[in-house]
Amino acid sequence: MASITWLLSEFRDKDSVIDAIRALRAAGVQPGDLDLFSEEPLELPRGVLDRPSHSSLVAVLGAAAFGIGGTAFVWYAQHTYEVITGGMPVFSFWGTGVITYELTMLGAVLSTFGYFLFESGLVFKHGRLKRDKDAPVPVVPPEKIWVRVRCEGGNTVRPTAALQEAGAVSIEAKTGAGL
Amino acid sequence: MPGRVKVTPPELLPYGKIREDLFRPLSGLTKKYFIAILLPLLVILFGAYAWSVQLRYGMGVTGLHRPVFWGFYIVDFVFWIGISHAGTLISAILRLTDAGWRKPITRAAEAITVFALMIGGLFPIIHLGRAWRFYWLMPYPNSRLLWPNFRSPLLWDLTAICAYVTGSVIFLYLPLIPDMAQLAEHNTPWRRKLYKALSLGWTGSDTEWHALERAMKLMAGIILAVAVSVHTIVAWDFAMAIAPMWHSTIFGPYFVVGAIFSGLAGLMIVMALIRKLMGLELYLTKHHFDNLAKLLLLMSVLWLYFTLAEHITAWYGNDPSEMVVFGARTRTRFAFLFWLMVFVNFVVPFVLLGIRKLRSITTGVIASFGILLGMFLERYIIVVPTLSNTRLPAASSMSYLPSWVEIAITCATFAGMVVLYLLFSKLFPIIAVWEFKPHVAEDEL
Repeated sequence: MASITWLLSEFRDKDSVIDAIRALRAAGVQPGDLDLFSEEPLELPRGVLDRPSHSSLVAVLGAAAFGIGGTAFVWYAQHTYEVITGGMPVFSFWGTGVITYELTMLGAVLSTFGYFLFESGLVFKHGRLKRDKDAPVPVVPPEKIWVRVRCEGGNTVRPTAALQEAGAVSIEAKTGAGL
Repeated sequence: MPGRVKVTPPELLPYGKIREDLFRPLSGLTKKYFIAILLPLLVILFGAYAWSVQLRYGMGVTGLHRPVFWGFYIVDFVFWIGISHAGTLISAILRLTDAGWRKPITRAAEAITVFALMIGGLFPIIHLGRAWRFYWLMPYPNSRLLWPNFRSPLLWDLTAICAYVTGSVIFLYLPLIPDMAQLAEHNTPWRRKLYKALSLGWTGSDTEWHALERAMKLMAGIILAVAVSVHTIVAWDFAMAIAPMWHSTIFGPYFVVGAIFSGLAGLMIVMALIRKLMGLELYLTKHHFDNLAKLLLLMSVLWLYFTLAEHITAWYGNDPSEMVVFGARTRTRFAFLFWLMVFVNFVVPFVLLGIRKLRSITTGVIASFGILLGMFLERYIIVVPTLSNTRLPAASSMSYLPSWVEIAITCATFAGMVVLYLLFSKLFPIIAVWEFKPHVAEDEL
């Protein structure tokens, strides 16, 4: 079990944070070892700290699953418990279209929400979020930004220098056990 | 500086001050608040009593009778579903177009949607008569071997409203999470527990912010499509019937326009009340009301356009059964209500909001009350004259007047909206605090 050191550094503005991330990346820190904490969303320029997401794909898949599943359910119900239609088809795509549409949208809504809970790690920690679930979390006061760096094997010299160079107001090191 | 966007003054306030101002209304219960909640509660109690009378004695206690089987309850249903478009739809449009002035408005609007849907969704159940059998609408295997008819617009309504309620609740909940995490830091023990549980352990990490922003963008797009479909389906409740003045292809968009129109009017009134009662004059500025007023004016003109298109085609077609309804609406029994509707939905907003000198928060609220009245009348005029003048001559020209039971239940729903909103505004910040700060990208434009 390797020892892990967490560097928690405080910044006062977004530009310094961007400089810090660039310096840390240049010092060999991986994006997965970096976390920012703030009271509002930080819009970083593309390429600084991208977090790729599959949320759109999940929404489309959820929508398709609900739409197809719902239509199949209506088809099954109408054929199993037939209503008197006066010679008209028992199952009609026109008539079922509205149900299909609404269930498709419901699928998109639910899968978007479900994936948000998963992706944010609020309900289910996964990947690096699971790995770092015991990492220290700073309490962020308004208008402050915290950068958390994960340093494996206690190697903190270069990241600390990078943070200082970018204008960190304070830097604190905390040690724990890694997974 | 050329090309630089000027941000509104409240957004330049220190974040700590914004937070303090917007969180302050949550604490402390004043006498005024108790009175404001008690009076509508009494109206709700009376409405509940009226409903109990209907449950005991049946639908005979209402004014509904052959052939007018739809009356106030359906009018209420369409009205409240329309009001629900204030929030999610408007918020989603403004979010997708990244309109900066939306920030203090979105949450108040989204809350309207959720409560209006809850209220609107009650009416089909109330209208069932035997309300305890509403679960028959749910498709599940049962000993009656009876499944809902999926072709029925009633079931379409159920599906659409379920999807819309689910989406709207999530759309309201998602941006509340960061605010609730902040509220959980310093609060009374029970509130801390509540906010902590609801904020799901939000820490403010960039992973969480990214996930939230992506989810909100996706939800805005999805909810827009759902909102439009919901009111279109409500319109199809009428348009699918081959009844005079109902069987129209433009009913879907006509209803959507009407819904956004009444929703905006509802939003204007709620915003003005919040501003006054919670002392948020600094955050809900004249600029916001001015923008809402312009939107309202645009919707008023659009509404008139659809109303004219709907009526002129019926008049030119000269179909005898349609002309009877057309005449009842515009010349005889319902003419007063029809022209009053046109007056409050078009003339009043056109004068009060169209003339710049007259446009203010007060005139906006006056016009909005008129629009709400007008849109209620519009639904009444769509429902009742057609059912009073069916294609069966023997059943025609029957009159309908709502009974005290229907009126009491209708009043209770308005009171319900007030109570729900007051409770919500005491539990959650009515303006999204984290969204209020200008994003840097906006500043750099």
